[in-house]
Amino acid sequence: MQHDPQPAGFWKRNQMKIAPYVFFAPGALMFSIYVLIPIVQSIWISFQDWDGLGPKTWIGLANYVELLDDDTFYVALKNNLLWLGLYLLAIPMGLAAALFLNQNVWGIRLYKSMFFFPFVISQVVVGLMFTWFYAPDFGLFSQMIKWLTGSEVAILADERYVTYGIIVAGLWPQTAYCMILYLTGLNNLNSEQIEAARMDNARGWRLLRHVILPQLAPATFIAMVVTVIGALRSFDLVSIMTAGGPYGSSQVLSYFMYEQALSEYGYRMGYGAAIAVVLFLIMMVFITLFIVRMIAQERNR
Amino acid sequence: MAEVSLSNVKKDFGAISIIKGIDLEIKDGEFCVFVGPSGCGKSTLLRMIAGLEDISQGALRIGGRDMTKIGPSDRGVAMVFQSYALYPHMTVGENIGFGLRMTGHEKAEIAKRTAAAAKMLQLEPLLERKPGQLSGGQRQRVAIGRAIVRNPEVFLFDEPLSNLDASLRVQMRGEISRLHQDLGATMIYVTHDQVEAMTMADKIVVLSAGRIEQVGSPLELYHRPKNLFVAGFIGSPKMNFIPVDARPHNGGIEVTLPGGATLQLAGTLAAAGKMTLGLRPEHASATGAGDAVLPAKVQLAEHLGSETLFFVSLADGTEIAVKADGLAAERPGDTMQIGFPARACHLFDADGNAVLNGDLTR
Amino acid sequence: MFPTPIQKASGPTRLAYQIALPIALVIWLFPLIGVAVTSLRPASDLAAGNYFGVPSSIAFENYASVFRDSPIGWYILNSFKVTIPTVIGAVGLSCLTGFALAVYGFRANLWVFFAFVAGNFIPFQILMVPVRDLTLKAGLYDSTLGLVLFHVAFQTGFCTLFMRNFIKGMPFALIESARVEGVSEWQIFRHIVLPLMRPAIAALSVLVFTFVWNDYFWATVLVQGQHAMPVTAGLYALNGQWVAAWHLVSAGSIVAALPPVLMFFLMQRHFIAGLTLGATKG
Ligand SMILES: Nc1ncnc2c1ncn2[C@@H]1O[C@H](COP(=O)(O)OP(=O)(O)O)[C@@H](O)[C@H]1O
Ligand SMILES: [Mg+2]
Repeated sequence: MQHDPQPAGFWKRNQMKIAPYVFFAPGALMFSIYVLIPIVQSIWISFQDWDGLGPKTWIGLANYVELLDDDTFYVALKNNLLWLGLYLLAIPMGLAAALFLNQNVWGIRLYKSMFFFPFVISQVVVGLMFTWFYAPDFGLFSQMIKWLTGSEVAILADERYVTYGIIVAGLWPQTAYCMILYLTGLNNLNSEQIEAARMDNARGWRLLRHVILPQLAPATFIAMVVTVIGALRSFDLVSIMTAGGPYGSSQVLSYFMYEQALSEYGYRMGYGAAIAVVLFLIMMVFITLFIVRMIAQERNR
Repeated sequence: MAEVSLSNVKKDFGAISIIKGIDLEIKDGEFCVFVGPSGCGKSTLLRMIAGLEDISQGALRIGGRDMTKIGPSDRGVAMVFQSYALYPHMTVGENIGFGLRMTGHEKAEIAKRTAAAAKMLQLEPLLERKPGQLSGGQRQRVAIGRAIVRNPEVFLFDEPLSNLDASLRVQMRGEISRLHQDLGATMIYVTHDQVEAMTMADKIVVLSAGRIEQVGSPLELYHRPKNLFVAGFIGSPKMNFIPVDARPHNGGIEVTLPGGATLQLAGTLAAAGKMTLGLRPEHASATGAGDAVLPAKVQLAEHLGSETLFFVSLADGTEIAVKADGLAAERPGDTMQIGFPARACHLFDADGNAVLNGDLTR
Repeated sequence: MFPTPIQKASGPTRLAYQIALPIALVIWLFPLIGVAVTSLRPASDLAAGNYFGVPSSIAFENYASVFRDSPIGWYILNSFKVTIPTVIGAVGLSCLTGFALAVYGFRANLWVFFAFVAGNFIPFQILMVPVRDLTLKAGLYDSTLGLVLFHVAFQTGFCTLFMRNFIKGMPFALIESARVEGVSEWQIFRHIVLPLMRPAIAALSVLVFTFVWNDYFWATVLVQGQHAMPVTAGLYALNGQWVAAWHLVSAGSIVAALPPVLMFFLMQRHFIAGLTLGATKG
């Protein structure tokens, strides 16, 4: 048996004051260096003209002014809103899947795991799968469309459909995520309340609406948070499936930013940072709402 | 020597004052019980003595040393928590020896002391088990064992029996009392249950809303409560309180009871006024024996076999409880004659302070 | 239980449910099944236009060829080199920070909480330029260590919240009891809290493993060359080389997806516990 060394007098007397900071410091330091400080730096850089290597030049709001004149920015913004709106469908779909699977039959655990599968897979792989799925000539989806309508559509090459096509690919894992949240929620329902409601003759839709959904509120909240964040963060799928194309029609802010800052279009760090700041501000609106609610919950504990 | 002394001890949580100035001396080897309704600050006060809560103001001395600013580990106290706080991943033996191990005691010494504690608490067959495999009473004993091994000068208990069922509670009450006799250490015990307080304490401290209402031995508190709060809190069933008019009369006190009957009490009173008469159910007479007799209507009769508890209403509607013989046959709706023995009556003024204690020990 | 257990339903309904389950599953996993089948389809089938029919033979050859003719094995090794140290680092650090936040009353506790939550949800893009710059300056650009450091820092945010809530759920009396016994704060962490955190550590380990394994954005931002490239970015690069060689793309995809999938199946309970924290009351 080993003894931890006896703390020295000073440490022992003051450990209640010092210990919190000792425990907290390493993680907080890392988090500050890589997350908190870069946020501030990004905002700073967004007021500069910078190629990433040379000196920075202060240009004030010029990046933002340019952004307001950039057509791609509006396309990206519009697409982000589309993502946001359609991505939320993952919540009811996830709920439906959870309700469908919340039974106690043989093998159901395996079914639940398999339904959850898409979430575990990298978005790169999801993107490739759906690219293949949509591919003209030999893609399953195109074949089905052809069989149904007689004419072929190249989803990812068509400005009208491309964003929807990518969003559907995104909904696949996101629905799985919401499903698992709801399955856990359903697992923890207060069965006495449900039985009481059944005695009061509530069933089906009414039971779901008035008794079950209120009890699932925490799951809905988390599903909301992860879905909104996921929609605004959408990068991988756009990058893999279309790289923003065709002709920039599937741009989203996150990819637009990356493209401006780091790709063959030139290393425009300041401009990229300005786009990131706009995205950040949009996200902050949601983050603030979520945090206000979380803190309220924390207080009610 | 481990007397505990608190002088003008206060505790605030933010702007809210929870402990509002406590002065208290607990003698070495004394069994002192803090009792009071829940939320009155008993746990907070105990935790201040343990060092788990800072003392906002005032001073605490243990064994003559100023402990106000000393950390919990250096106060020479051991504490038994209401939830037992056993470490779920350690066996009973490891739980008991953990504190010693962490403070650098010799392995042999730890083994010796653990064995002694286990023997004292009949935990020997359980030493290899995890807390999850123990019954409530066994867990309780492990928690006590963990306190004993450290040979503390002061034991602190925070409602240690409240998670046990009634019969086990009675048994553990006895065990803790015996432990106190064997160890001779100072013990401070928090409970909201006045029966526990009455049966175990050398000294009871009645707390209410962060203040001491009264300090005394169990019988002192029973016979000579200083105010309505203590009178109502100590004793079960509760003391009856009857509104009366009182006035000085013939060198004593005369009170007018509901319905107009009068009762002469010994003692002195400065001025006449509305007061509260206190009479314990066990001192009221269901057979009409007493210095004043009031007719009353039976509302409810609880037949307990050994005794009967009548809830009766007086002329003005005041309900009182009366303890009677187990064979008493009155039924709800019947009229009874309730006797009030003058020497058992307490009188409280309009502020609730005792003017007169019907001290039967006198 | 809601909906009403199917066992209480009539015979035909029960049967319909039992039939619907596998059908729904196949539809749900259609893209995946398609890719899995294609990954086993010989190249000749594709050339002959047999995209959907029964493969003429099972071509494990595709997998062999992916490993033989492309650096995917190397990419996978890189992914492990990034993922495993990140899991250890992030989970380790967050045990400490989570403990600090749960056990001590910080004056700025609420702000710290806010910072960690906000840090979790921010768009990566706001970090991209400075983090890339920092990594370049530190000489860690294009190395697995550069990725590890960033991932550790970022995941520490999420993990800290998780750990804090987990420790908050433990009875605080355990800690107080140890304090009265003279146990030091470090010993309390080491001997009492840490052993009880095992489920949380397991849950976070699988989650972080999955998140980091599947990361694509940072793999493209902080790495350029093959020698440090993780499998997500590597697969995308290979996809460019294997134009229309769908049997290879499919096999590569399956290979890249496999480790987190295995992790999920092995540690399913922990995975879901981690992911659904907060989805129930309490
Ligand atoms: N950490 C705290 N912060 C704020 N208020 C507290 C805290 N601890 C206790 N209190 C309040 O102090 C009062 C006394 O609590 P406590 O000592 O636990 O009562 P008791 O043990 O007598 O039931 C309660 O009203 C409680 O809400
Ligand atoms: Mg208490």
